[in-house]
Amino acid sequence: MSIWNYVVTAHKPTNVTHSCVGNFTGPQELNLIIAKCTRIEIHLLTPQGLQPMLDVPIYGRIATLELFRPHGEAQDLLFIATERYKFCVLQWDPEAAEVITRAMGDVSDRIGRPTDNGQIGIIDPDCRLIGLHLYDGLFKVIPFDNKGQLKEAFNIRLEELQVLDIKFLYGCPRPTIIVLYQDNKDARHVKTYEVALKDKDFVEGPWSQNNLDNGADLLIPVPPPLCGVLIIGEETIVYCSASAFKAIPIRPSITRAYGRVDADGSRYLLGDHAGLLHLLVITHEKEKVTGLKIELLGETSIASTISYLDNAFVYVGSSYGDSQLIKLNLHPDAKGSYVEVLERYVNLGPIVDFCVVDLERQGQGQVVTCSGAYKDGSLRIVRNGIGINEQASVELQGIKGMWSLRAATDDPYDTFLVVSFISETRILAMNLEDELEETEIEGFCSQVQTLFCHDAMYNQLVQVTSSSVRLISSTSRELQNEWNAPSGYSINVATANATQVLLATGGGHLVYLEIGDGILTEVKHAQLEYEVSCLDMNPIGENPNYSQLAAVGMWTDISVRLFSIPDMNLVTKENLGGEIIPRSVLLCSFEGISYLLCALGDGHLLNFLLNMSTGDLAIAKEGELTIGTIDDIQKLHIRSIPLGEHARRICHQEQTRTFAICSLKYNQSNSEEAEMHFIRLLDDQTFDFISTYPLDQYEYGCSILSCSFSDDFNVYYCVGTAYVMPEENEPSKGRILVFLVEDQKLQLIAEKETKGAVYSLNAFNGKLLAAINQKIQLYKWMLRDDGTHELQSECGHHGHILALYVQTRGDFIVVGDLMKSISLLIYKHEEGAIEERARDYNANWMSAVEILDDDIYLGAENNFNLFTVRKNSDGATDEERGRLEVVGEYHLGEFINRFRHGSLVMRLLDSDVGQIPTVIFGTVNGVIGVIASLPNEQYLFFEKLQSNLRKVIKGVGGLSHEQWRSFYNEKKTVDAKNFLDGDLIESFLDLGRIRMEEISKAMGASVEELMKRVEELTRLH
Amino acid sequence: MGSLLGHWPSFDPHNFSQLRPSDPSNPSKMTPVTYHPTHDRTIPPPNQVISSEAKNILLRHFYQRAEDKLRPKRAASELLTPEHGGKHPRASASASKAPPC
Repeated sequence: MSIWNYVVTAHKPTNVTHSCVGNFTGPQELNLIIAKCTRIEIHLLTPQGLQPMLDVPIYGRIATLELFRPHGEAQDLLFIATERYKFCVLQWDPEAAEVITRAMGDVSDRIGRPTDNGQIGIIDPDCRLIGLHLYDGLFKVIPFDNKGQLKEAFNIRLEELQVLDIKFLYGCPRPTIIVLYQDNKDARHVKTYEVALKDKDFVEGPWSQNNLDNGADLLIPVPPPLCGVLIIGEETIVYCSASAFKAIPIRPSITRAYGRVDADGSRYLLGDHAGLLHLLVITHEKEKVTGLKIELLGETSIASTISYLDNAFVYVGSSYGDSQLIKLNLHPDAKGSYVEVLERYVNLGPIVDFCVVDLERQGQGQVVTCSGAYKDGSLRIVRNGIGINEQASVELQGIKGMWSLRAATDDPYDTFLVVSFISETRILAMNLEDELEETEIEGFCSQVQTLFCHDAMYNQLVQVTSSSVRLISSTSRELQNEWNAPSGYSINVATANATQVLLATGGGHLVYLEIGDGILTEVKHAQLEYEVSCLDMNPIGENPNYSQLAAVGMWTDISVRLFSIPDMNLVTKENLGGEIIPRSVLLCSFEGISYLLCALGDGHLLNFLLNMSTGDLAIAKEGELTIGTIDDIQKLHIRSIPLGEHARRICHQEQTRTFAICSLKYNQSNSEEAEMHFIRLLDDQTFDFISTYPLDQYEYGCSILSCSFSDDFNVYYCVGTAYVMPEENEPSKGRILVFLVEDQKLQLIAEKETKGAVYSLNAFNGKLLAAINQKIQLYKWMLRDDGTHELQSECGHHGHILALYVQTRGDFIVVGDLMKSISLLIYKHEEGAIEERARDYNANWMSAVEILDDDIYLGAENNFNLFTVRKNSDGATDEERGRLEVVGEYHLGEFINRFRHGSLVMRLLDSDVGQIPTVIFGTVNGVIGVIASLPNEQYLFFEKLQSNLRKVIKGVGGLSHEQWRSFYNEKKTVDAKNFLDGDLIESFLDLGRIRMEEISKAMGASVEELMKRVEELTRLH
Repeated sequence: MGSLLGHWPSFDPHNFSQLRPSDPSNPSKMTPVTYHPTHDRTIPPPNQVISSEAKNILLRHFYQRAEDKLRPKRAASELLTPEHGGKHPRASASASKAPPC
C-alpha cells in the first residue's frame, strides 16, 4: 500500500444518538429528525408511515440536536452543536427545498477543561437564549435579541463542577436553568439559577433540592401548566417544583432516554438500559401535582432516544441495536406487552470486531461483524449486492422450471410453487407455520413436465404440458377445461397471462387461445416458416390482463418477431445476427418505457426499445442493457443473526467452516447482575451455536485467533482471556486457551496461564505472539513426551503502557499502545529476542493499528483521527531510524475498533481498481469504511478534485470541510495530509451537469473523464 | 392501566393510518437521498456568524466589580433592573463565587 490514502464510507453510521419531532419542513408538516453521529436524517410523517426525505451530512460529530421556534416563526428551526465546538441554526426553505443556515459560529474557549459527561446544549423554552455546558465550571450563553437573531456568546461561571444534567425550566419570568450535579462527597443535588442576561451572570434561582437518588442522572423539565422538573434516578423518580415534591420508587434501572408524550407534560416514555419501556404519568388535579405513576409497557431495543411521533406511534432510536418504529396499543398482547414493533431500522453499531471472509468462495469478501451490545448483540453479515433472504428451502434435483401461483385471483401473495421436472410436476406451498410443504392440485397433470403455468382470471390456473393446455379452478382445484394439441404435434414452448395463452408446436405452428370463465377458446392459428424457440405475451399496455403484442424468438433465421394479438399479424422482425439462438424473450417496461428483452444462448442479453405511442409498433433502438435506474436498491446487503448476548471478538476458520466468538451474556434474572463469558463455535453457513466453552467467573475473552503451529498440521482456535477482578485496576491474570474443533466441538488442547490480560494474539513464524498487559510475549508450540502439546514461553518485550493491538508482517511486529501511539518491534531469530526498532513519540491513545506495507503503518486513536507513520530505515542517525515519522493525518470523526485487510467487492485483477489494495474498518457508530492506497498520480488528481469540490459542495450549516477533516486532539490541530475524503469526492457523481462542468473547467478535464475516474473509485466499495 | 394509556396526542389523525407493517425479520430499506448543497445560503448573514466574547470571564468580573465600586450609591439602586427583584444586591451573590484561577 502507500502513504496516499483514500478513505470512503461503504456503510454509513446507523447509531442513532439523538432524535426530535417538530414542524421543520412546513407549518403543517410533522417531521422526525434523527442524528446518526455525523449525519442527520429528515423524515416526514405520512399516512403510509415515516417517509425519508433527506440524509444530511454534517461536518462534525453532533453533540446536541434541538428543534425550537423563535417568536414569529411559522416553522421550527434546528439547532446543532458539534463536539468540536461549532454550532449552527438550520432552516428549511420549502420553495427551494434546501437547508439554509440562519446562524452559525464557534463556541470554543481557549482555556477550559472539556466536560467528562458530554456536552449539553439547551434552548430556553421562551427562546431568550441558548445555553451550552462544554467546559467544567462554565455555562455558555448565546442570547437571542427580540427579533430572534443571535448575539455574541459569553460565559458564566458555574460553581458546580461535576454536572450531570442541565435543563431550562418552563414558565419562569426570567430564563431559569436547573442543574443536577454531584458534590465532592458523591451526593447528588439540584439547584436552580436565573440567567441575568444583562449582567452576564447567574442569580440564585427560586428553589433547590438536596440529597437526591445517588443514581439521579436525568432531568425532564415539565411544561406549563404544571411546570417543575422530573428527576430520574436509578431507584426513585421525583417530581420537584418550588411548591411540590412527589417521589415514587422504581425497579432499579438506568434510564437512558425519555420522550414526552403530551404537550401538557403529563406523560413521558422512559427507556432503560435493559430495553424496557415505561410510561411515567404525572397525576394532577387542575394544575396541582398529586403524584406519579409508572407502568411497564413492554420491551424495545435499548433506547438512546425516544420520540413520540403521532397517533400512538413512537420512534425508538438505538445505539446498541436496531432502531424501531413502535405502536403503543391500548390492550396488551399475549405476552402482556403494550408495545408493537412495526419497523426495524438496521444499526450495525457498535462494531466491536469483525472479520472478512469469503463464505461462498466466489472471490468476493463479506464482512461479519460483532454488532450491538447487551441483549441487542448480534452478528451481521454484510455483503455487496442485492440480498435474498432464505425463508425456506427444500432439496430438489433436476428442476426444469418453476412458477408461483395464487390461491385466488385477488390474493395479495402467491401460495403455490409449481416445480417442474423432466417427467413430473410437483406443487409446494407455504403452510401456516411458514414451512414449505408439498401439496396437490387435483386438476394439474403431475406425471409430466410442465412447460408453463400462470394465474388466470375467474380464480383459475393454467397449466401447459407438451400435450395440452389445462384450465383449473383455483378454488375447487379441479380441471375445468382442456385444449389438446393436434395429434402428431407436441407443444414445445408456451406462454400465458391472466386471459391469454400462446403456444408453439413442432412445425412452426403458433396457436393463440383466450381464457374464459371455465373455458379455453382457440382464437387464431399461424404457421411460421421455422421452429419457435421462445415466446412471451406479458401485458405492458394499458390493460394489465391482456396483451396486444406477442414476442416470438425463432430458430434457423435467428430472429425475434412481434405479432399483434389477436389477429397474429407480423408487426416487425429483427434479425439478431450471429448463430446463437434466442432462448428467452420478455416484454417489459421500466419507468414507463417499454422494452423487449432477448436473452441468447451464450448469455448475452439484448434490449430493444418499443415504440408503442404511434400504435404502429416498431423496434426503435437496439442497445446494451443498462438497468442503472433500478440500482436504487441498497448496495450493501445485511443479514442479522441476533445472539441475545454481546459478541466482542470473532474469528473464522476456513478448514472447519466455523466461526468462533468471545461473548458475554448479562443475566438479569439474578438480583445481582451476573455476567457470563463464553467461547462459542458457530457453523459458518447456518450461524447456529454448535459448541460452547464457558469461561471462568470474572474471566473475559479478550482475543481470538485461528492459526496453526510449526510441525503440526492441525488448525487451532487460540483464545486470550483476562480475569477482571473488581478490586484490581488492571488484570493481573489471564489465560491462553488452545482449542481444536473435533466433531463440531471445541476441544481444549492446551492452556497457559499469563500474568495479565491477553489483549491480542497473532500467528507469528509458526509460533504464537501474545500481547499481555505491558508486554509482548512469544510462545513456542512444544510437543511433550506424552504426545500432547504445550505453549512454552520463548522471549518477550517490555516497555508498553498496555499493548492493546498487535499486527505482524514477517519478523516485524507493530504494536498499538493504550497511550503511546505505535511502536515497531523486530524478532531476531538468532538471538531469540524481540527488540524495539522504532516508535512514534506522540501520545496517541490507540484504538486500532494495521500494517499497510513494509514501511507504512496505519493507526486510529480515540480522538477519532486516522494517521499513518513510516519507518525511516535510511535515517542517518540512530535517533532518526528510531523514530516513526508521521506521514498522514486525518480526522475521520469515527471511533475505529478494527482494521482488516480485504475488500467488500469482487476484485478483478485485470481492472485498474483491482490493483488498489484496501483495508476495511469498523466503527462504534456502525460505519464500515474502506481505506485504499492510491498511486501518487491518482492521489494528486483526486486531491485537486477534492479541493475543487470543496468550493462547490458547501458544508451544511456553513461548517468547513477543511476544518472538519483536520487532525484534531487536545494538543494540536493540523490540516489533513495524505488522506482524501472519498465521500466528498464521490458526491461529484450526484452533482447537476452545470456544477460538474464548473469543476471540469477548473480541473482541465472533461466531465466524462471525471465521471469515469470517480466511478472507478466507487467500485472500491 | 387503561386510564393511563390511550388518548394519545394526534397532530394529524391520518398519520400512520395506512402504515403497512413490514416483515419484522426484514429491516426497513428506506434510504433518503443524500444532501449536497451547492447554494450560497449555507453561509448565514454576516451578523449571524457568532463568536464568543473576547473578554476573559475573570477580567470581566474585575471590571464589573470596579464599575460597581465607582458608581455613586444612589445611581446604583436606580440601575438595578427588576430582574434582580431588588432584594438581593448583586455584590452578595457574586462575592460568594470566587473567580476561577
